[in-house]
Amino acid sequence: MAATEEDNGEFYLRYYVGHRGKFGHEFLEFEFRPDGKLRYANNSNYKNDTMIRKEVFLTPSVQKECRRIISESEIMKEDDNNWPEPNRVGRQELEIVMGNEHISFTTSKIGSLVDVHSSQDPEGLRIFYYLVQNSDIVLLLNALVLELQVILVNMLICG
Amino acid sequence: MVDEDNDVVMTEQPRERGRERRKGRGLRLGGRGESRQQALLNDEEEEEEEEGGNDRNVLQLFTPLRSVEGWIVLVSGVHEEAQEDDILTLFGAHGHINNLHLNLDRRTGFFKGYALIEYENFVEAQAAISGMNGTKLFFRTISVDWAFSTDPFKGRRSSSLAKPRHKAIS
Repeated sequence: MAATEEDNGEFYLRYYVGHRGKFGHEFLEFEFRPDGKLRYANNSNYKNDTMIRKEVFLTPSVQKECRRIISESEIMKEDDNNWPEPNRVGRQELEIVMGNEHISFTTSKIGSLVDVHSSQDPEGLRIFYYLVQNSDIVLLLNALVLELQVILVNMLICG
Repeated sequence: MVDEDNDVVMTEQPRERGRERRKGRGLRLGGRGESRQQALLNDEEEEEEEEGGNDRNVLQLFTPLRSVEGWIVLVSGVHEEAQEDDILTLFGAHGHINNLHLNLDRRTGFFKGYALIEYENFVEAQAAISGMNGTKLFFRTISVDWAFSTDPFKGRRSSSLAKPRHKAIS
């Protein structure tokens, strides 16, 4: 299914999940850049914690694998028109540039598949949900290098 | 406290290309925090980004980077029905494995198609890469390579020499 453009063209990905609350603006964001740089930021003011920022370079092999995962997920074919709007509970953003396609989707946090099924676009949102759930390739890669497992796991569970 | 007031607008603007197909609220609304130009990741001293981005095909020097506890090797093209044991046996023959991750696709329950293997030492990891890359596992060709590299552009950008870019990783 992967067109040649998807193999060779530009690839950029950014994912953000966060909310504003008692502990300030709590969020996790990571970004793959076309040059292979993976950047990660995690902020919480819980117990006066400060922003954590890390970055590392990925080899072309890892980039290719990420591209494959995105491409096979078919997320680029979706649209966030009928997805839940971000709300007080929080927001998620997924921005991807691959080949000549550029998506920047925004939605609320998704607690479980129940939220997916009750939305107006369960099929599309489902793809997003699983992709984000599975995007632990990034988190895992990060974690391995940067020893952030605990933080990441917490962020994933708590959203 | 870090909040939106501290957000720094990215130096790099989203690609504006006529042929590009664009979709999503983030691009339609263009509001704060809704497109990559507002990526919160950006720190204040974001300056020479993308400087080397255009000539990335010319000469990229990927030097493997050690992770906190070992050398990480990525195996891709792993058959979805492969078992952890298969990978462990095959790759364990090349050296001591600290850690192995075969992630599952949470929708299908099958393997996602990649494995991350952490070797204790560089030489063994290198041996696994040269020995296993391009070989077949369950009739599928797998590729094996380092997962992380040091900054491939370092040394070719004067500014990156002046400032350590990886002080957080050490």
